[in-house]
Amino acid sequence: MFRRVVNAIEVLAVVAVAVFIIMLFANEPGSGGAAASSPGGMIFSANCASCHGANGEGAIGPKLAGVVVPAFPNPSDEITFVDHGRGIMPAFATTLSAAQIRDVVDYTRTELGK
Amino acid sequence: MAAPAQLKTGLSTTTKLLGILVAGAAVAVALGVYANAHTPTHEKPYTLFFSGTIQLKVWLATLALVLAGVQLLLAARLYGKLSIPRQAPAWLGDAHRLIGTAAFVVTLPVAYQCLWGLGFQTASTRVLLHGIFGCAFYGVFVIKVLGVRVKGLPNWVLPVAGGLVFAALVAIFLTSSLWFFTSSSAPRPLF
Repeated sequence: MFRRVVNAIEVLAVVAVAVFIIMLFANEPGSGGAAASSPGGMIFSANCASCHGANGEGAIGPKLAGVVVPAFPNPSDEITFVDHGRGIMPAFATTLSAAQIRDVVDYTRTELGK
Repeated sequence: MAAPAQLKTGLSTTTKLLGILVAGAAVAVALGVYANAHTPTHEKPYTLFFSGTIQLKVWLATLALVLAGVQLLLAARLYGKLSIPRQAPAWLGDAHRLIGTAAFVVTLPVAYQCLWGLGFQTASTRVLLHGIFGCAFYGVFVIKVLGVRVKGLPNWVLPVAGGLVFAALVAIFLTSSLWFFTSSSAPRPLF
């Protein structure tokens, strides 16, 4: 009896794997992604959204939408922060160009969360 | 036991061993390629009763590790490395299968959000290692499952594969859940 239950659960696990694989390919993203039409938005989606959320709402990293300007009244301070990182925030000076960092900082200050 | 199975399949032990190794490697590489090629959605598709997807993933990964720990003990009893209980119950092997299946299934929602929502990332050493261990886990899991199903393999294959599955899960836990529990910069709340 117990073995039958285990067999049945293993079959369900195989079904779960099939659903897993189908979902990986069939489940297209919804509209929750960051607006990626601007250069800064595309850079944000590729480098920042995984930690700060697609709309800067926060996840592993803190919320950015609506809070970066009060936190960094001077944009150059935010650029320096992104350049050098702090704690678990990686330094992006080695992976993004200065122009890209300016774009993404500008995006977080003007478009993120809107 | 081994000889009849080899006669039945017509494959040598080495060929079978290579076959399951290639299958496992293919799964691990395929997951890595998918995660790297797929555009991350950054969506958090489910939270169940947790406060967020990260909390859900952290606790499911922890549950998987706990179940894997039980698996390790059951396997040690099956192989006679433990003598408690003195008389191994007849259902011990089935219990090992059941808990192993449960541990595996518990990892699927975690892996799905990682692969689909985040993709393969190299932002930090921890994140990079987590991605590699995640892909490796499913590769060695495939090797373990095939090692059970394919007859005529050397006796060391199953314990080695099982040990690698457990080691990969520990590595995944160390680079994700443990970081979440111990890092002051990790998101809160815990649940």
